[in-house]
Amino acid sequence: MNVLYGLYHPDGGELAFDGQAQKVRSPQDAIARGVGMVHQHFTLVPNLTVAENVVLGAEPTRGGLFDLEAAVRVVDETCKKLGFSLDARARVDRLSVGSQQKVEIVKALRRGAKTLILDEPTAVLTPQETDDLFRITRELSEQGSTVVLITHKLKDVLAFATRIAVMRRGRKVAEVRPADTTGAQLAELMVGGAMHDPAAPPSPLGATEPFLTLEGVSAEGLHDLSLEVRAGEILGVAGVDGNGQRELAEVVTGLRPLSRGRLKLGATHWSQLTPAQARACGVAHIPEDRLHRAMVADMTVEENVALGRQHQAPFARGLFIDFAGRRARTAQLLEAHDVRPRDPVARMGSLSGGNQQKLVVARELDTAPRLLVVVQPTRGLDIAAVNAVRQKLLERARAGCAVLLVSLDLEEVLALADRVVVMFEGRLNGTFTRGACDERELGRRMLGAAA
Amino acid sequence: MRRALPSILSVAVAVGVSFIAAALTLGSVSQTASAFGAMVEGALGDWPRFFETGNATAVLRPIGEAATKAGLLTLTGLSVAVAFRVGLFNIGAQGQMVVGALAAAFIGARLSLPAALHLPLALLAAAAIGSGWALIATALKLWRGVHEVISTIMLNWVAVSLVENWLVVGPLRATASGTNSVSGTAQILPTAELPRVMAESSRLNLGFFLAVALALAVSLWMQRTRAGYESRAVGLAPRAAEAAGISVSRRLFEAMAVSGALAGLAGGVLILGTELKYPATLASPYGFDGIAIALIGQSHPLGALASALFFGALRAGGTHMQLYGVHKSFPELIQGLALLLVAAKLFWERLLKQRIATRTRSPV
Repeated sequence: MNVLYGLYHPDGGELAFDGQAQKVRSPQDAIARGVGMVHQHFTLVPNLTVAENVVLGAEPTRGGLFDLEAAVRVVDETCKKLGFSLDARARVDRLSVGSQQKVEIVKALRRGAKTLILDEPTAVLTPQETDDLFRITRELSEQGSTVVLITHKLKDVLAFATRIAVMRRGRKVAEVRPADTTGAQLAELMVGGAMHDPAAPPSPLGATEPFLTLEGVSAEGLHDLSLEVRAGEILGVAGVDGNGQRELAEVVTGLRPLSRGRLKLGATHWSQLTPAQARACGVAHIPEDRLHRAMVADMTVEENVALGRQHQAPFARGLFIDFAGRRARTAQLLEAHDVRPRDPVARMGSLSGGNQQKLVVARELDTAPRLLVVVQPTRGLDIAAVNAVRQKLLERARAGCAVLLVSLDLEEVLALADRVVVMFEGRLNGTFTRGACDERELGRRMLGAAA
Repeated sequence: MRRALPSILSVAVAVGVSFIAAALTLGSVSQTASAFGAMVEGALGDWPRFFETGNATAVLRPIGEAATKAGLLTLTGLSVAVAFRVGLFNIGAQGQMVVGALAAAFIGARLSLPAALHLPLALLAAAAIGSGWALIATALKLWRGVHEVISTIMLNWVAVSLVENWLVVGPLRATASGTNSVSGTAQILPTAELPRVMAESSRLNLGFFLAVALALAVSLWMQRTRAGYESRAVGLAPRAAEAAGISVSRRLFEAMAVSGALAGLAGGVLILGTELKYPATLASPYGFDGIAIALIGQSHPLGALASALFFGALRAGGTHMQLYGVHKSFPELIQGLALLLVAAKLFWERLLKQRIATRTRSPV
């Protein structure tokens, strides 16, 4: 969808509008070709009126002055055509979310959109507003416009679409018509034939103690969560993006305050945990947002290796930095983890994404962690790097480290995890053990189905 | 060294451009050259005359004047640079300097102590008050989310009004002796004066050496200690620093406290070394100049020292340009231009990157 709207550029292939191949270099190009986009997060100016927002960027003028009446007329006409009402003079921040979305649609149409892209439009709507939205989009398609709906809600596509394209990992894997399919079939298509990796031996579990225990933990984005991760086990967290996985990782690493409940690390209970305390307890963190959470781009590689352990040997001696110790340890890690270039004073930001990630993994494993919290560890890496990272995680787990693995890539979770928990809307929605894992059931749980 | 290159080029271009501007307005290149020559002479001393006559004052007086100004600029430049390093924009060095100056004037005049205690105490008071003033803005930022640019800039005017519109004309005003009317606070006692280092040939005092020592100390702190490393990480990537277990708010507090202390100290040095009392108005915008000094110095402590030395010298020499019809604020023009050019960071980076790219390609 970002390609279509000119935000990303295709590496190959072509886009055609009305049968003609065209290049879309920017959103301006896309708008000129009649593409309109309604983002999940609205792009409205909250303290302007509906009419002002709709005409923003191409305001009607009379005698050089802004013509509010003309703007109001534009809004009223569009609304009438589609059969809904909007108060064109109301301030946008006083409107409900559903109405704001309508403003976005009117705005896109005003710019001459013939293809309207809706990105997760129902995520923020009530059921009534959803019905309302689908009435409008149906009206639009009957009037000859194209509507592209991007969603992970099966109910929505089944109720609304003329055709359904199923995408998985950047490819279209199927195209069906709603009449010919069921929710269960769609879920299977979405999850795909995620096979176990036969190479990964099952963990010698059983008697080991839980290292991490969450007891009724609530926080922003999490509701009453209880789970445990045992030493030597990889616990996979599966779920559709934005269902509390990230929040879970942040709670465990001390980055997100708990509002209720407590967690136990080793033998210690915590109801409030700081990142420094978590690290002292042996928690290592490979975060998803590498660029902002895991590294300082404008520091050198060796300074980044010290990050998180800057106060202890071999990175510090008393109050001062131990330059020699830091250099030696960095050289060691670069060699052992094949990070290129092998230059401890290279700027961290100048390394490729794969090498940055290798360095972060190397650094966190070097802390000899007792719990490793890993979020999307292989996103954006090439195959060789992916395998290297996965291998390291397995090695660590077999050596007795507890691993909490969050990944949106179900294949990855199933390939590595000894147990899988499914998260939905900040709660646990099912636990599966390796071997007894039914992908179809997993997919249903990820989309919110009850047990 | 590579980081300093954009600044050095910017300053060079600024000097060149202002030379051309002066030549155009004066209509004579030779007169402009004389004016610039006078500026250099005013900054570094009249060496030919010294060699001819052996008159040391011809050299010492200008150098002393330049160093005095450079010392003050170093302190305020360091103040701004330290805050920059943790990602805070302290526009309030001027206000922190003003309250620091008043504290030094008060302690210097009102207490009577032996010199070994009096001077350090007056300087310490200046630093402490400056630090406290900066912490108002820091507290507002951390607890109420007020942006430090807004709060520090507003606190500047609060400081000036509080000090110059009330304390200096009111409760702290010197008592008139006889029929002489006096302005400002009472003269500080000799025990609180910063000792002059070149006897009577120059006003240069220990303040300059204090500033240089502090620049070295700040550099040591930022580059060599754990705390400095953590502070730099906070400034460059606060979210990564947080995840690494660094207490971001503690480092912010610490840096702002030091920043305010350095600015307050600048006020103290100004009073105890040069003014010897808080005058009716302290018409010295060293605090504001500190922003330019820090930026031209690339927020590096030693960079700030270097740029303070350069512009301190230029400032001292500027008055000599008047003999040739060039206004004495000309050095400030050069400083402003240089700042503007340094701010065009992307331009320099692109230019230098191209140069380096072609250089590394050619030998292959």
